[in-house]
Amino acid sequence: MSTPLLQVDGLGISFGGLKAVAGFNLDLEPGCLQGLIGPNGAGKTTVFNLLSGIYLADTGTFRLDGRELRGLNPEKISHQGIARTFQNIRIFQHLSVIENVLVGFHHKTRYSYLTTLLRTPAFFREEAEWVTQAQVLLERVGLAHRENEVARNLPYGDQRRLEIARALATGPKVLLLDEPAAGLNTTEKATLMSLIAKIRKDFAVAVLVIEHDMKLVMGICEKITVLDHGEVIAVGTPKEIQANPKVIEAYLGVA
Amino acid sequence: MSPQVAQLIKVTVFVAVLWVVSQVLDQYLNAYYLRVLVNCGIAGILALSLNLINGCAGQFSLGHAGFMAVGAYVSAGLTTVYPATEFLHSALGVGLAIGIGGIAAGVAGYLVGLPSLTLRGDYLAIVTLGFSEMIRVLFLNIQSLGGARGMYGIPTQSNFFWVYLWLGITFLVLWRLLKSFRGRAILALRDDEIASEAMGVNVSHYKVVSFAISALFAGVAGGLYAHYQGYIDPPSFDFNRSVMIVIMVVLGGMGSLSGAVLGAFLVTILPESLRVFEDFRLIIFPLLLIGMMLIRPKGLLGHREIWEFFKRGKT
Repeated sequence: MSTPLLQVDGLGISFGGLKAVAGFNLDLEPGCLQGLIGPNGAGKTTVFNLLSGIYLADTGTFRLDGRELRGLNPEKISHQGIARTFQNIRIFQHLSVIENVLVGFHHKTRYSYLTTLLRTPAFFREEAEWVTQAQVLLERVGLAHRENEVARNLPYGDQRRLEIARALATGPKVLLLDEPAAGLNTTEKATLMSLIAKIRKDFAVAVLVIEHDMKLVMGICEKITVLDHGEVIAVGTPKEIQANPKVIEAYLGVA
Repeated sequence: MSPQVAQLIKVTVFVAVLWVVSQVLDQYLNAYYLRVLVNCGIAGILALSLNLINGCAGQFSLGHAGFMAVGAYVSAGLTTVYPATEFLHSALGVGLAIGIGGIAAGVAGYLVGLPSLTLRGDYLAIVTLGFSEMIRVLFLNIQSLGGARGMYGIPTQSNFFWVYLWLGITFLVLWRLLKSFRGRAILALRDDEIASEAMGVNVSHYKVVSFAISALFAGVAGGLYAHYQGYIDPPSFDFNRSVMIVIMVVLGGMGSLSGAVLGAFLVTILPESLRVFEDFRLIIFPLLLIGMMLIRPKGLLGHREIWEFFKRGKT
């Protein structure tokens, strides 16, 4: 086995007296598609907020490629190579679809304030380059035909795919997807999941996905981490997870 | 033709046309109308600049008159307080002073922008309001700048041409800023701060920069105002003026540059055109504002620019 790309060690956070997440461990191998599941309120999204720097962990560490990231703000973590989507879609509503993706390229764009004001050839050159790259990304998620629409007007499923394209624009090594299939019907879900599987290969990113639909999770993930009451109760392949009595207990309760 | 040459030609044509128009207006328009037009231009610069904070970056400033005051007092201080020289009273000297006033206001904007890193909405509005009141009281007590009596004898070098040239510059700078990756970051910040941060946008930087750029142009507007009126006093930059600028932006449509200018013209011209109603104009004007907001709750132009309304089939 290769060394983990993302190595999370004993991550924990409390809100007041409530321990939302405690002692969270996770190893994400390069190129792996891993699921993070658990009953409602288990702390899955909190884990994502910790890993993307929105919350500052009280305890523990997490390293990407051996570099410690705990304590960095979301902006810096994104520069290091962790990108995410949000459970309750957070696209830039009033920007156009392509502009949403272009924001993802922000920290790679270089031209100066002076170039902006004078519109030198460098401005047009760089803008054109990023627009082309954004179009490629939109093509990949199947939104090429909507690039000039206002993001707010997109159907729900397209908004979710736009979030993925925008996250990919930041050039991540690790992609955190928070319930990407929520609110979609069965066929849409299946398409989205195959899209995620393809993206992971083409962009060589490791994906950590939160999803409630067990059939889908079991179907595409190589490895699954199960969270309950803020603690990891099981890690393993889908088969192992399905047979794990602790997992069954967490989901169904004790008979 | 390369875009740069096209730009240069456009700018030259704009300046030339503006100069001709200003000469014609100076000759043939009666002084009252000209004054209203110049006030419209100054209001336009103020509304455009406030629009960057309130409309584009999604922050809330209620202290724009404060930035204007900094620009007005600093520039007028430079041209008026020191022993008058020919240079300080020339167009070039005044122009330089106005520029320095703008930069001073920009620095003030940078400082006032800092609280915006932790405060938002109503709370930020109160901080900016507090700042502008502080500035006003400060100038009220600086005797060398006229104190409560105000400053007299400011060289009146600013005129239609200079005001509208600066309106054009403000528009161009803000337009180009907004149509760049930095502008997209500023607009993203308005739509969703958490997502912007997560996408690697330096949110703090853009909040403070918005305040600084906005304040810079408000300061220039203040300088133009001072050198047009020839007289300034602290009450010229009170809370009411800040509120009027907010009204211009909200009425025109938050985030729309042409909307801000339209709002500025309306809010400046309407009270003048209602003078026939004498005292009642102060009731009719607010009623008109209420009416317009009821009909178009997102402002006259909403998020769009005025020319987008003339393109068919495009929304």
